[in-house]
Amino acid sequence: MLSRIADSLYWMSRYLERAESTARLVEINLLYLLEAEDQLTEAAQWRPLLAICGSEAAYSETYKGAPVTANRVIQFLTQQRNNPNAIRTSLRLARENARVVRDRISKEMWEAMNEMWLQVDRQLSGPLLPERAAGFYSEVRSGVARFHGITSGSMMRGQPFNFYLLGTFLERTDMTARILDVKYHLLLPDASMVGSPLDFYQWAALLKSLSGFEAFRRIYQAGLRPIDVAQFIIFESDFPRSLRFSLDRMKQAIDQLAETAPDERTAVCVQGLLARLEHTDAEQAFKLGLHEFLEDFLDGVRELNDALAARYFEAYLGDESCVT
Amino acid sequence: MMIQAQSSTSSGRMPYHEFYLDDFAPREHYTPLWEHIRKTGQSALGDKAQAAHLALRTEGVTFTVYSENEEGIERVWPFDLLPRIIPAAEWVPIEAGLKQRVRAINLFLCDLYHKQQILKDGVLPADLIFQGKDFRREIMDIDPPQGIYPHISGIDLIRDETGRYLVLEDNCRTPSGVSYMIENRIVERRILPEFFAKYRVRRVEHYPALLLQALRYLSPRGADNAEVVLLTPGIYNSAYFEHTFLAKEMGIELVEGRDLFVKNNVVYMRTTQGLRRVDVVYRRVDDAFLDPLAFRPDSMLGVAGIVDAWRAGNVAIVNAPGCGIADDKAVYPFVPDIIRYYLGERPILDNVPTYLMTRPDDQAFVLDNLERMVVKSVSESGGYGMLMGPASTPALRAEFAQNIRENPRNYIAQPVIPLSRHVCYLDGELESRHIDLRPYVIYGKDIEVVPGGLTRVALTKGSLVVNSSQGGGSKDTWVLAE
Repeated sequence: MLSRIADSLYWMSRYLERAESTARLVEINLLYLLEAEDQLTEAAQWRPLLAICGSEAAYSETYKGAPVTANRVIQFLTQQRNNPNAIRTSLRLARENARVVRDRISKEMWEAMNEMWLQVDRQLSGPLLPERAAGFYSEVRSGVARFHGITSGSMMRGQPFNFYLLGTFLERTDMTARILDVKYHLLLPDASMVGSPLDFYQWAALLKSLSGFEAFRRIYQAGLRPIDVAQFIIFESDFPRSLRFSLDRMKQAIDQLAETAPDERTAVCVQGLLARLEHTDAEQAFKLGLHEFLEDFLDGVRELNDALAARYFEAYLGDESCVT
Repeated sequence: MMIQAQSSTSSGRMPYHEFYLDDFAPREHYTPLWEHIRKTGQSALGDKAQAAHLALRTEGVTFTVYSENEEGIERVWPFDLLPRIIPAAEWVPIEAGLKQRVRAINLFLCDLYHKQQILKDGVLPADLIFQGKDFRREIMDIDPPQGIYPHISGIDLIRDETGRYLVLEDNCRTPSGVSYMIENRIVERRILPEFFAKYRVRRVEHYPALLLQALRYLSPRGADNAEVVLLTPGIYNSAYFEHTFLAKEMGIELVEGRDLFVKNNVVYMRTTQGLRRVDVVYRRVDDAFLDPLAFRPDSMLGVAGIVDAWRAGNVAIVNAPGCGIADDKAVYPFVPDIIRYYLGERPILDNVPTYLMTRPDDQAFVLDNLERMVVKSVSESGGYGMLMGPASTPALRAEFAQNIRENPRNYIAQPVIPLSRHVCYLDGELESRHIDLRPYVIYGKDIEVVPGGLTRVALTKGSLVVNSSQGGGSKDTWVLAE
């Protein structure tokens, strides 16, 4: 397949995943603040979201030092035109990439994507009203889920499908690691401590923003211990938003790509990431420092992204021996 | 800008009505349709029109209007419910006339880029060709694969007051619209299956299959070993939807210039598995942008060296470079002579009478009668660069008059021909609007015309401009079986 098409498929699913994770993150934050028993200021409740989305600098540039408020953060993460990571921007770019690969994806996939974009664009023609916000985010999530469902049922397996998977899981890995990193930083530094009721809500919110609360409860009945939450989010190979799960899917996709288009550097990168998760657990990660552990992991993810780009997406200028 | 013109002509005769007879009874071939509408009621059409719009919107059947905004504005393809119906007997001479025309144009191009016998014989003034912006000296004496230049033509037909079909333009560079011909049919069939029950409508959806066959026929490595690609300028091009549609229907790669690469006069595409040789490039990029080495050096859309690869016989380019001179508006008046010269036949389809501004008598007559003329710039298309005499202001006429005097090669003029009219369902009412017809001709091993075409509608009341970039709409076009 064309390198440019591989690139577009990969970014189509990355942007889609980005929109979905951001929607879930904001939605959960919004719902948990309805009953504001805790002592956190509005700014303290919302600033972490900007950190997770890597949007702090862009935010302060847009609002020029005005205080961080719920409305501004919601507006910024949802529909601010100059925010490259806003939900609206991500969906627009996902659709734009889908348009580029329109001849390579199924008609149903294109229509689902197009319909979702048209609907979102219409709903965001004006500012998103706070009372409409939660409903809006859940529509975005179900729109993305619908797209993935249709894809799974209608897209040919093969190289293009593997690039679609790589985009989804690489973005998911990135987002999961960031959410954990930022939230952990704000919550308890003492790993063994069982939290206060406030902490319970905060950790529950963290799990919910990864759709993992119920699954976690089923495995860990003792309570919401930070170390267990980290173990679950990083290492649980059956939890679809854990780092381990996403990495396993990427490994499979890369192995399949390698059957027809092998690449040493990509293989080394994915092995390196897996090695970071094997023979260790949350306890050791806490000893090392969870922040350092996650930073190192995110570096590995960036290296993998660069390796994929170099081998598969950037214009391939091999010599004639590569001609097939 | 919307160009308005009065419906009645300088001759005072009414435009031909496709649907109604003079007494507002429908013509015979529209009677079953008419009775059906009367029986089910006009209001049922409103829901159908809405459903058609929604279907086209969801499917993303759009075209892009160029705008200040760099992203362009995407518009849903405007579609009118009521089909345009062409009886079998009426289609026969159209088809024969189109094939004749394209066959002659191909011989003309072949001659122009080799011996130029037609110029030596004085059928056309040589200056006219050499001054043409689209005559490409760079491709003299090249033999394109299978000796074909205009593989795909979209020839615009209109009907005069008597209902006679006339050729308005030969589009043989990169004519667009064929995907809308097919989409119109798909939507019409889904929304109004009951209409089809009354008629025997000929199929059009095999167009991409015919096209693919014609493209593979050109492969330098043989038709059985053909890697065919469609070269698009990218997603902001107004016809991008069509490019994806055709690539998908034919199962070929949709490529941009940066996906292709020329080495030792062979064209390759860059894939995740390495370079892959390309045999046939169906390009939807104008000549000027095709190859920065051969034509415009600033082109970002093209492929450096592709023309050399073509010259070396290693790749087919569709349509061949240099076709533009055949649909230069100043060459158009000579097409009937070209047909007689190469084929020794009487032209089956007539031209619209045309005045050449390089002829002093023609020019004087046109300048005296500008308010009754359509003046066209020979190098523009899409309804741009036109003067619609009856709707023009004195200032605009003065401007065109001056342009004509300064650069006569750049203009032609035609009497205002009132395009035929058809009923359309617009905002709950049945209204008459002007239409034209663009059938598509494929020149492969044989010359083929898909029975149908794109019927374009000037949606603004009284307007004669049907281009979608200027507010035109479209209709499904039915050619009936015997």
